[in-house]
Amino acid sequence: MTENQQTNSFTNSELFQIMRSNVQTYTILLALVGIWVIFFFTTGGRYLDAQNISNLFRQMSVTAFMAAGMVLVIVTGNIDLSVGKLAGFVSVIVAYFQAYVWYKLIPDQPVLAAVLSVSIGLLTGIISGAVQGYIVAYMRVPSFIVTLAGQWLFNGLILLVTAGQTIPANQPFFSEIAQGYVPDIWGWVFALLAIAFLYFNMVRGRQNKAKHGFTLRNIYIDLLVTSVPALFVLIYVAVVNNYRGIQDPVLLLAATAMIMIYVSNNTRFGRYSYAIGGNSEAARLSGINIRSMIFRIFVLMGFLCGVAGVVLASYVGYGTVAAGTGYELDAIASCILGGTSTLGGIGTIPGAMIGALIIASLSTGLQMMNVAPAWQYVLKAIVLVLAVFADVYFKKGR
Amino acid sequence: MENEIILDFIDVTKRFPGVVALDKASFQVREGQIHGICGENGAGKSTLMKILSGVYPHGTYEGSIIYGGEELKLGASSIREAAEKGIAIVYQELTLVRTMTVGENVFLGREPVEYGSIDWNKLYADTRAILDKYGLDVEPQETVKNLGVGKMQMVEIAKALSENARVLILDEPTSALSEAEVEKLIDILKTLKSHGITCIYITHKLEELFRVTDTVTVMRDGKVITTKPISDYTLEDMVKYMVGREMKERFPKGNRQPGEVIFSVENLKANDPNNAARKIISDVNFDVRKGEILGIAGLMGSGRTELVMTLFGEFGKITDGKVVLMGRELNPTSARQAIDAGISLVPEDRKGMGLVLIQSILKNISLPNLQKFSGFMRIDSDAELNASQQQAKSLRIKAPNLDVAVETLSGGNQQKVVISKWLLSTPSVLIMDDPTRGIDVGAKYEIYKLMNDLAEAGVAIIMISSDLEEVLGMSDRIMVMCRGHSAATLPISEATVERVMALATGIVSE
Repeated sequence: MTENQQTNSFTNSELFQIMRSNVQTYTILLALVGIWVIFFFTTGGRYLDAQNISNLFRQMSVTAFMAAGMVLVIVTGNIDLSVGKLAGFVSVIVAYFQAYVWYKLIPDQPVLAAVLSVSIGLLTGIISGAVQGYIVAYMRVPSFIVTLAGQWLFNGLILLVTAGQTIPANQPFFSEIAQGYVPDIWGWVFALLAIAFLYFNMVRGRQNKAKHGFTLRNIYIDLLVTSVPALFVLIYVAVVNNYRGIQDPVLLLAATAMIMIYVSNNTRFGRYSYAIGGNSEAARLSGINIRSMIFRIFVLMGFLCGVAGVVLASYVGYGTVAAGTGYELDAIASCILGGTSTLGGIGTIPGAMIGALIIASLSTGLQMMNVAPAWQYVLKAIVLVLAVFADVYFKKGR
Repeated sequence: MENEIILDFIDVTKRFPGVVALDKASFQVREGQIHGICGENGAGKSTLMKILSGVYPHGTYEGSIIYGGEELKLGASSIREAAEKGIAIVYQELTLVRTMTVGENVFLGREPVEYGSIDWNKLYADTRAILDKYGLDVEPQETVKNLGVGKMQMVEIAKALSENARVLILDEPTSALSEAEVEKLIDILKTLKSHGITCIYITHKLEELFRVTDTVTVMRDGKVITTKPISDYTLEDMVKYMVGREMKERFPKGNRQPGEVIFSVENLKANDPNNAARKIISDVNFDVRKGEILGIAGLMGSGRTELVMTLFGEFGKITDGKVVLMGRELNPTSARQAIDAGISLVPEDRKGMGLVLIQSILKNISLPNLQKFSGFMRIDSDAELNASQQQAKSLRIKAPNLDVAVETLSGGNQQKVVISKWLLSTPSVLIMDDPTRGIDVGAKYEIYKLMNDLAEAGVAIIMISSDLEEVLGMSDRIMVMCRGHSAATLPISEATVERVMALATGIVSE
């Protein structure tokens, strides 16, 4: 069989080819590793200790939920500038119910209260997404305008709800959502499940290709491509278990990312999104209802903002006027760093997740080094432009 | 009258990986003449003009071009350089900034400046002077987007002339023009000629060559076949030079046996959806039989494309009339409805409307058909791949595999991808809007054969084409459109070029 022949002839050029065709992914992975190495030395090794790694991933989670939805928004040629303030609005709404409502209506029932708060938070996100999506898709106001207005609107609503005060959201059980940890043993179970899934996918993919007579990639390359993320998961779990275990929001993020990856690759919804971004005329003439697709993508975006908002409230433990400020730009930057094209049609969820991780890595590292906020912004600006420039540069060389 | 030779092409050869686009092309252009260049798509006309205008700089081709007595050596990034030397090109796709005025466009990049600010009065006065000198009937202060295609072209010409062009290249200038606009363009060319400007006129519409040119060069497969005065040609031998064989072989013989009528349109009227006051179609009547190829002929702007887009549910707002498919009345309001009812449309603009260029062949083929392979939750990638692969194989799409992005394919193969995607939806009526536009002769022939096969298998095909020979060569019956209505439907035995043209231009009506 051809597979055997190929296994025997492992060639560097093949590996090189794959690297070239995925320049973006590798540049950004290299950038991530580079950033970690630099901070490792500048912080005297503290940067990569268990507690900090643990914090790093929790820090990225709020942005990453939004980035996961933003990928599809940008892929269809739209933008959502409201996500930061929408998540902030959700967080203050949730905090408001936690602090001022439930103790009167359902005293001493923290679990029920938390469930209700979460539901209200998610619903707020969905409704907000639906309203904005309706205006963009059916009333045909450009998404840039609608969501810029949305940002102002949610900012106003935040001020109304908080009345300028900080609302506590540190009630028992609710706090667990973003501050809890998965027990070590379960951490290992999830890790093994994830790894098994990765290899299962690889084998199944190869079987499928063989069945249809496609030439298979060198097995070592497939193994390498699968083993890198597998190893990453293993190391991550080993490190955080050394501290207090996987954090709940990180687990939730992992699950969300997996679902979003599936949705974008294996469902009509995902396929149509990319087709609309690639050429909306061709998509329309192929019988795709573009308006309804755009509407649904904004609803999904709103839902993910709801998730981000709930995690945000639980994580910081209160709702404030400043909640979510600037997060939309972090989410957009995550997508761009991860290879999402501003022209639409191109972008991946894993890319955006790595992008979010880079942004969180920079922020935490610079904070640990006590770099003044002003310089943190300057450095982040440089990294963003450099990363995209590297991509443009390598693509030109191809 | 023998004029000076202004351009002398000597053994110009241009190679691309795997193809020789120009093969030792040699001919001369005389100053002050209108020099026609004709040939089919892929004959090398456009490559030649790209060399002349500096898109392919000196050194990327072999041979030499003598311009006004000196060898033309354009450097890389030399498009401005060609213009400065007096060689200007008016492209097939117009390159104007639509939101700017005529004057701004004419002087774009060379605005007259006084004390650091643009001297608008001078700009408009100079524009006016150029327009008047060559009899171009456009207002300098009009915004370009408000102009028709014909007037936009005049602006392009004015722009070229404002740079003191000595040689003006017109690449398929009439492809988007109405008959009246073509008339006007020919007048303009004659005015230019009287001012001593040399024009190179590229076209594949032979009849225009006879109307306007002095000398014609015929090209085929990258070679110059012949160059001689227009008076030495007959239409027949020009065609023979272009095609390299007798016309009859251009279209494969089919064995079509049309059956019963399955699709009919009666008294259809429709308005522009963006402008309800504008009628786009009035009183269209025709029917198509099972296994038949119905050709739709008509000039650009006669409403052909608008008609089929309306039938596909994606353009006009139907105000009156009846559309019947297999005995059931249809009121298509979206492509989805039309597809589900059994109508497919291979659109006019392959790249702009038919394909998602950055995506793979597989994704393009399956796009309108995903419902077949998936529920709400999951696409059955096995079924998707199987079905797409079968289509790709039966249409002989040339590509290493189906994961290749369609933007890397040739025009002919791209068109096969579009056709594949629509065949997979197993239509009973297949509408093809200019299916062979911009693809080479060999691929055209394959597409014709495919159309025959489909018709023989019982599909009713409606084919629009701007190429009258193609309509006459492929159709069983021809519906001629004129200004938004169906002028007549002729059986192929009664259709001739002259008769169809007379109907299309509205000179006669049935």
